[in-house]
Amino acid sequence: MPADPSTGDVLEVRHLTVEYDGVTAVDDVSLRVARGEVLALLGPSGSGKSTLLHAVAGFLAPTSGEIWLQGRRVASAERAEPPERRDVAVVFQSYALWPHLNAVDTVAYPIRRRGSGRRTARAEALDILDRLRIAHLADRRPAELSGGEQQRVGLARALARHASLYLFDEPTAHLDTHVRGVFLDELVVRREASGAGGLYATHDAEEALGLADRVALLSSGRLVQLGTPQQVYAEPVDLWAARLTGPASVLTAKVVGAHDGGASVDLGGSVVEVDSTGETPVGDGLPLLVRPGWARLGGELRGRLLAVRFRGPHSDYVVDTAVGDLLIREPGPPRYATGADVTWTLSRTWALGAAAPTETKRSLTELPT
Amino acid sequence: MPSRSAGLGRRSGVLAVGVVIALLVVFPVIRLGYVVWTEGSGHLDEVFSEPALAEAVANTLLLAVAVTVVAVPLGAAVALGLRRTDVPGRRWWRFSMLLPVLVPQFVLGYSWTQAYARAGFTDTVFGLPWPSVLGPWGVWAVLVVNTVPLTYLLTAVGLATRAEPDLERAARASGAGAVAVLRDVTLPLLRPSIAAASVLSFVLTLESFAIPQVMGTPAGFSTVTTTIYRDLSLGSDPLSFVEAITLALLLVAITVIVVVPTDLWLGPRLRVNRVADSAGAPVVNPRGAGGRWIAAGLGAYLLVGVVVPLVALVTTAVTPAVGVSPTPANWTLDNFSAVINSRTADALGRSALLALIAATLLTVLGGCLAVLERGRAGRAMASLVTITLVLPGSTLAVALLIAYGRWIGGTLTLILLAYLAKLWAFAHRPISGALDRLPPGELQAARASGAGSLTAVRTVALRPLAPALVAAWLVCFVTALHEVTMSSLLYGPGSETLAVVVLNSAELGRVGLTAALSVLLTLVMLVPALPAWLLIRWLRSPRRAGDAAPVGRLSHAG
Repeated sequence: MPADPSTGDVLEVRHLTVEYDGVTAVDDVSLRVARGEVLALLGPSGSGKSTLLHAVAGFLAPTSGEIWLQGRRVASAERAEPPERRDVAVVFQSYALWPHLNAVDTVAYPIRRRGSGRRTARAEALDILDRLRIAHLADRRPAELSGGEQQRVGLARALARHASLYLFDEPTAHLDTHVRGVFLDELVVRREASGAGGLYATHDAEEALGLADRVALLSSGRLVQLGTPQQVYAEPVDLWAARLTGPASVLTAKVVGAHDGGASVDLGGSVVEVDSTGETPVGDGLPLLVRPGWARLGGELRGRLLAVRFRGPHSDYVVDTAVGDLLIREPGPPRYATGADVTWTLSRTWALGAAAPTETKRSLTELPT
Repeated sequence: MPSRSAGLGRRSGVLAVGVVIALLVVFPVIRLGYVVWTEGSGHLDEVFSEPALAEAVANTLLLAVAVTVVAVPLGAAVALGLRRTDVPGRRWWRFSMLLPVLVPQFVLGYSWTQAYARAGFTDTVFGLPWPSVLGPWGVWAVLVVNTVPLTYLLTAVGLATRAEPDLERAARASGAGAVAVLRDVTLPLLRPSIAAASVLSFVLTLESFAIPQVMGTPAGFSTVTTTIYRDLSLGSDPLSFVEAITLALLLVAITVIVVVPTDLWLGPRLRVNRVADSAGAPVVNPRGAGGRWIAAGLGAYLLVGVVVPLVALVTTAVTPAVGVSPTPANWTLDNFSAVINSRTADALGRSALLALIAATLLTVLGGCLAVLERGRAGRAMASLVTITLVLPGSTLAVALLIAYGRWIGGTLTLILLAYLAKLWAFAHRPISGALDRLPPGELQAARASGAGSLTAVRTVALRPLAPALVAAWLVCFVTALHEVTMSSLLYGPGSETLAVVVLNSAELGRVGLTAALSVLLTLVMLVPALPAWLLIRWLRSPRRAGDAAPVGRLSHAG
């Protein structure tokens, strides 16, 4: 039992390593989820985010390391509590709805397991279904539900658990943005009401950045970076992390001067003053990360349009410049045609490798010189 | 027009298959009914008033129920134990659980009598005989041992295809303990598989012959199949012939009454489109949750069911006579040299030839049916063939005898026809299953690239299907080699199979010789089985290596 339920971490993972079938799926990962916080696990498939989630849920036992829930140790290399004795709820990737139970009985199941009577459990289940706007589907079995409806039933079942930690195993991977918005809103309400935390595995960067309070980037079972969405987007620890968290261009340029919060960069003849967080090293041939919004068309620098793509609310321009190919995103329909000579300027960069040189070595070798 | 000629090819294929089914199964069974109607008129009252017949029917039904009630829960428990926990040496257990069906039924039954009966192995070594091993209890026990692998397999397949691990994890994460998950999720999901296993167990017990014959008959315990055998091979009066054919018809009637309603209920519930996760794994990591106890249980089952009886059988085979203590000093190969004579050699040759031809023809027939099944007319044919799976061997043999006996009675050809009719479904099922597991995209891609249905199968599917084809061949070969129910009814002078020779030897009470022959019959199976098994492994290996390669490369790079 937690000493003070209003403070402290819902989840703490200490040096967790999980091996199975001879593969180290999670490798010495440590992280925390605070009360009221959603932590996203972002990584490509095979990065270990599902394994980490399964270890926290209790489906897998740690090879080494510890898992603490609500200040109580639930798993170590010696002893792992079964999932039903951990205060967690899981939303599964493949919905995992029981084919022989209808929606209301499915959602009532965790309530029944807490010891409530059938009638009470059903009433509460109906209430949850209603909040997800699918109360009219209460009598249907999974086979009679659409994918989106199944997803909501799966979510309702997790909510019915009244857990202090909600685990999401890539649940919204195949849902349209509207439905996603509807139940993420519902979740936010839920989370603030019960003071619970969330651990959300996904390979969709946009979703992770938009939903989570903090994001953990995973690669080959190891934690690559942990920070707020703004941090991991603006200050990725290496090129791999940059590519994972969103569209990015890398310019190879000469930094002629750096000061706190900015740098002077030589971009093929003209020197431009740009914003730059962290400590930007001075030197030639440095890889500079540029997000699509950090550069704009019009200005003192010259380039040629390699490609133009209309994206609805905005347009993407790929510009061939003296320091490398650059992706610029501007609102509205395309203003220039492919092949046109354009001018551009840069407002911000992030020196790749500035933050954590030891971790970026591997990726730097992949950069074009 | 290529499409029309393809359609024509398919239609003539369906027609050809239909004719073969009609000749092998439909006509003989109809003929059986007709003969019972004509020959039996006037005698039927006499036949039915005979208490022995009523007793045989009652024994058979009781036995079928008693075996099913025990074998199905045991099989399900084994499946759950092997697929949902981390029993040490799971791979090995999965293989060894199939041992009881690799031993010919007759040999299994006979070795039990050698192991546990009075003056048997446990009696002479430990002074612990089990006298009622001869009689209903023994028959029941051996049938259970023989049926459990099947019910285990069916439940395990159900677990792999229907009970997705996430469904059970979801229940655990909802607060359900291991027992509640079993009760609320796993067993309800397995209900269709368990029902199918029950029906199959019931039907297979109904039609079992070798085990009741070798363990029941000496104790005066008769079943429908042993009564048919007695009537046809020993009885000479017309009344016993009428009794035999009536019982044969009765047996198939009981089967139909049991199978048809359950099949109607099960049919739509057993259909799955998902690719089976055949590996199976613990759903929740069960840190030391009784894995060793499960292993001990499985070990005890195999020890009592198979290992001790087979050891007893071998001991009997190398002991010169009953009563001689089975110690190494007395061991001799006399029994083997006595049974390896020209009669045995001829029988062995006939068995091998029959099994070879039958298995090869059956693989072709099963493959044809699996391909044609994808059309509507072919599907009806496939259902018909699947029904023959539960057509009792005794009935089939009697029906074939009545239909064709006057021309080819007592010849190997008639026995071959019986094998083809009985085992067609055995060959069809694995091939059809493998065809189902092919990603539909692969065949569709071939069709979209301009291949007809048969060409698509030949060019795209044959390589991945090869293991299933070899497996189907192997199953048919081994089953045909061990077959005794139909062979014992259909053989004539000069067409005894090895299994029939063993059966006759047992009936003559030649203990040591029968044991030696039984060992021989069991070992003969290994001659084709080992190369075929290696072939299946080899056929599967390139694929496995291809799948593993990228992982290997990654781990080297990292």
